[in-house]
Amino acid sequence: MADSPPSPRADLVWSLAWIAIGAAIFTGGFTMERLERQNINPYTAPGLVPALLGIGIAILGAILLVRSVRRTGLTAAAEGGTPADRSRLAVALALCIVYAGGLVGRTLLGFHVSFWLATALFVFVSILAFEWRDRRARGELGRGVAVAAACAIGTAAGVTAVFQEVFLVRLP
Amino acid sequence: MFDGLALFGKSLASFADPLTLLIVAGACLIGIVIGALPGLTATMGVALLTTLTLKMPSNVALLVLVCSYVGAIYGGSRSAILLNIPGTPANAAACLDGYALAQQGLAGRAIGISTTGSVMGTLIGMFFLALFTPVLGEVALKFGAYEFFWLALFGVIISGNLTGNDPLKGWLAGFVGLFIASIGQDPIHAYERFSFNNRDLAGGFQLIPALVGAFGFAEVLTVLAAKTQKPVIHRFDSHLPRIGDVVKYWRTILRSGIIGTFIGIVPGVGEDVASWSSYAAARRASKEPEKYGKGSVEGLMAAETGDNACVPGAIIPVLALAVPGSAPAAVLMAAMIIHGVQPGPLIMVNNPQFVYDVVAMMLYATLGILVFGLALVKPLLKVLQVPREIIMPIVFVLCVIGSYAISQRLFDVWTMLGFGVVGYVLRRYNYPMAPFVLGIVLGDLLDKNLRRGLVLSDGDLTPFFVRPISATLAAICLATILMNFAVVRRAFHAVYVALTPWRKAA
Repeated sequence: MADSPPSPRADLVWSLAWIAIGAAIFTGGFTMERLERQNINPYTAPGLVPALLGIGIAILGAILLVRSVRRTGLTAAAEGGTPADRSRLAVALALCIVYAGGLVGRTLLGFHVSFWLATALFVFVSILAFEWRDRRARGELGRGVAVAAACAIGTAAGVTAVFQEVFLVRLP
Repeated sequence: MFDGLALFGKSLASFADPLTLLIVAGACLIGIVIGALPGLTATMGVALLTTLTLKMPSNVALLVLVCSYVGAIYGGSRSAILLNIPGTPANAAACLDGYALAQQGLAGRAIGISTTGSVMGTLIGMFFLALFTPVLGEVALKFGAYEFFWLALFGVIISGNLTGNDPLKGWLAGFVGLFIASIGQDPIHAYERFSFNNRDLAGGFQLIPALVGAFGFAEVLTVLAAKTQKPVIHRFDSHLPRIGDVVKYWRTILRSGIIGTFIGIVPGVGEDVASWSSYAAARRASKEPEKYGKGSVEGLMAAETGDNACVPGAIIPVLALAVPGSAPAAVLMAAMIIHGVQPGPLIMVNNPQFVYDVVAMMLYATLGILVFGLALVKPLLKVLQVPREIIMPIVFVLCVIGSYAISQRLFDVWTMLGFGVVGYVLRRYNYPMAPFVLGIVLGDLLDKNLRRGLVLSDGDLTPFFVRPISATLAAICLATILMNFAVVRRAFHAVYVALTPWRKAA
């Protein structure tokens, strides 16, 4: 991944988040049931290790906070990818979550779609969406649709056959 | 010694039937293709293949995973040489001289060198795997709760320190991994921790869906979010390896193989550090350091020998201690457990044959990468030219169905999605994934052994610091942390200078 290093401002925000997360984990661990009624050894209390990890995360977060403030974290501008990158990421995330969560998990849309159909639709739409601009610029939209359709059918048929027939998995 | 050879011979023979050899060939080829495609890493490949091999007999399934692991680390050099894009993070060092050679019209020679280096590296690592696993297993039998606690912490701290470029973020990632491992029933009293009365969460997160998310889905998002250019491939010369290169650079090969193996043994560090360390050591020892980065055959040989030697090296602590030496080895360890093999100190007592089975798997994998690395140069070029926009949606389908297939519950799909998003965000902000994964894998070991140790000592912390192995591990952990502070480094340097006055005089 060829990322530019994150800005001190991003580290500052993260450090605050880590301190909050560490504090929440410590509280969760500290207030956790100590099973005294079962007469367990107090050193085996279930919350002991999470509480210690919470302290560790909060301390590391505090060090990150100090470091980012020293590196002008309070004044530096927030960073982010280019708008094109952000929109590609949003499309990728939306397609993946709708497919995995919605179609396969049947929790977003509330109706049943066969696994093979959901897979074919996802692969077809994803390939077309990410290749659309280039294909259109080259005047190859028809070819792009054909390639996406072939990949979609091949993947749906191949994955369904292998997992359902060979591995005997009851597909979602 | 002879017992080991006999067990190794038995293991070699057990895999020598046509169907198994065909499977070896397929697994090596899949591994090479996964490695060669930028965006598909060895960890992701091994995690996805774990889900695809669930129904196979355990030895065959693990053979597939070992072959694909070795193949992926080797295959990554192909895109490093031809496209100047490392196929896996382990091949970043190979870009420097490999691509420079390709620009000079010597891409074929560079491929031959990377193949030779990878084969020699795997063989050297394999030798140490056979030699050290029984020895380390013997030492590990002396480990008690205190030592295992420090070993788990040592893995997370060393991994956080050496992977990525910011130890603080590495340790944070490792601690978060340790915390995630504590979600669900605790390993001593089966008390539900942080489950919020959710039945699925009470069982904790399964390792494979979590890793498929952190390495697979996160990678899909990373690749799809960035626009990729159509690859340009340079002219080719002969890709057949030259015996002269092996003879001329035998010292580099041996040194890099040893460095790679030993870095593999260090928990959670992995192939990329092995490759860079071998490269740096070769450059320091070279008679032609000025050629490095401009097409040095020696540099490419060192990088590729180092990363492939790290693969067997990373499996040594998996077998002897149940502590993975790298992220792909962590997945391999999870796969071993799924297939009913319990790695750890007792493996040489209960199942010594398995150790030599893994050594034999390494040998078959080496043969596989040698044959396919040289025979399929042209078809692999075609694979490299397939647009990432076509590959990634298909990879995501495998991530979804692979996560689901293990236990056939949708919670694992959600786990994969969640870990994918978290992994993407963490990577975006320079938090390395290796300590995160190692934290998830070692969390249970740390948790159980800290509490057991405290019970054994009745709350006294002294045994954690005075037993020889505990004290050594604790000292290394402390030194690793302290050496990141400039004040400590300066003080250390001042003491060093004061104690070695002859260096000053020289």
